[in-house]
Amino acid sequence: MTSSLTSPPGESRVSLPATTWLRVFFRLFAVQGSWNYETLLGNGIAFCMEPALRLLPSGRDNPRYAEALARHARYFNAHPYFAGVAVGALARAELDGVSPALIERFRTALGGPLGSVGDRLVWASWLPLCSLLALAAFGYGARPSLVIAIFLGTYNAGHLFLRAWGLRAGFSKGLRVASALGNPILRKGPQVVGSAAALLAGIAIPLAASRVIGNGRFLAAEIILVAMLGGVVFARFGGRVEGWRLSLVILGLFVFFSVIR
Amino acid sequence: MSVTLYRIDDRLIHGQVVVGWGQPLNIGFIVLVDDDIACCDWEQDLYRMGVPPEMEIVFTDVKGAISNHAGYVSDKRRGIVVTPDIATMHRLVDGVKTIGDVNVGGIHYKAGRTPRLRYAFLSPEEERELSVIAEHGVRVTAQDVPNARQVSIAELLLSKPVEEKSA
Repeated sequence: MTSSLTSPPGESRVSLPATTWLRVFFRLFAVQGSWNYETLLGNGIAFCMEPALRLLPSGRDNPRYAEALARHARYFNAHPYFAGVAVGALARAELDGVSPALIERFRTALGGPLGSVGDRLVWASWLPLCSLLALAAFGYGARPSLVIAIFLGTYNAGHLFLRAWGLRAGFSKGLRVASALGNPILRKGPQVVGSAAALLAGIAIPLAASRVIGNGRFLAAEIILVAMLGGVVFARFGGRVEGWRLSLVILGLFVFFSVIR
Repeated sequence: MSVTLYRIDDRLIHGQVVVGWGQPLNIGFIVLVDDDIACCDWEQDLYRMGVPPEMEIVFTDVKGAISNHAGYVSDKRRGIVVTPDIATMHRLVDGVKTIGDVNVGGIHYKAGRTPRLRYAFLSPEEERELSVIAEHGVRVTAQDVPNARQVSIAELLLSKPVEEKSA
């Protein structure tokens, strides 16, 4: 291994014109447009990066332009909302003239963590949270159009923010983008959002069931109180609560309730 | 045994490993076995960002993984050992005779490789190396995520390439 592969280059003064930023950003919405089992996101990454590569000296006439496009069209995988981090960081590396060998190592190392962070933050946390928020609104009696608007509004706000933040963070940090991924929002975010989604599930599901069944009595206050108490119990004893024990406790409460009522 | 999965995956740390396998198996640590990454701090920083704060990630080369394997097994937490390619897993299996199962989780397209499954592209040399691992008494199967069908090595190597199947 050469020394150039052990240390990414430092800060540079390369900047992107506003029109290039916009071109790259809007292309990010099509990053999965040519997804396939051989290159996965590879073609999309090259497509998104292309406007930035035009800024290489001599632009499209520079042999490095074609070499860079070919390099980034190869196999690459990441979460689509975090692809902007890769596009920004790799474009910056190309414009900084980083060696192809180091860029190859970097893109190999970057894809997996971007997939992992995205899966945990978006698929496992943000998407359930937005769905449950909409379900809770339905349970509270919101009109169907408002329920749909709440889901689409919150979910899309999240992914638009992630795409914009990712592109900016990737380009500004370049090969040192690990520091941006160490942001507390990304590190602790999935856990916090996941906990909020769990609490919301405790509120939304009974509320929605109550509205669907139509038992004639609005139990919102009781449901929220029980869900919050449950949240406190899980936060305090979560590590010791296992599925079968929890099931036994709930079963016991049902039996107790049916005896005393 | 606290190492619940020995996985070959060229993406190493990613969503399928951390979320797909990590959550249902309640994984507490991941051992990333790669000779190059083991001596490269900035690459380690990147991979470290891919695991949640409560999950430990250990970077080691093959030699270190073999000498520390007893420690992984005796750990009270459950763990995953992941290598980037078949050759690295082969060296690990050669050095640790107690490894009983190896999971092919992701080997993606590269020139010279034939698609065997959607997530497993193998060159003739890699196919031979997988067979050698299996001949050591190791049960080799392919499975990308826990709820997917487990494919035996015989089925993996004897199967027609993916394009021909779908044609």
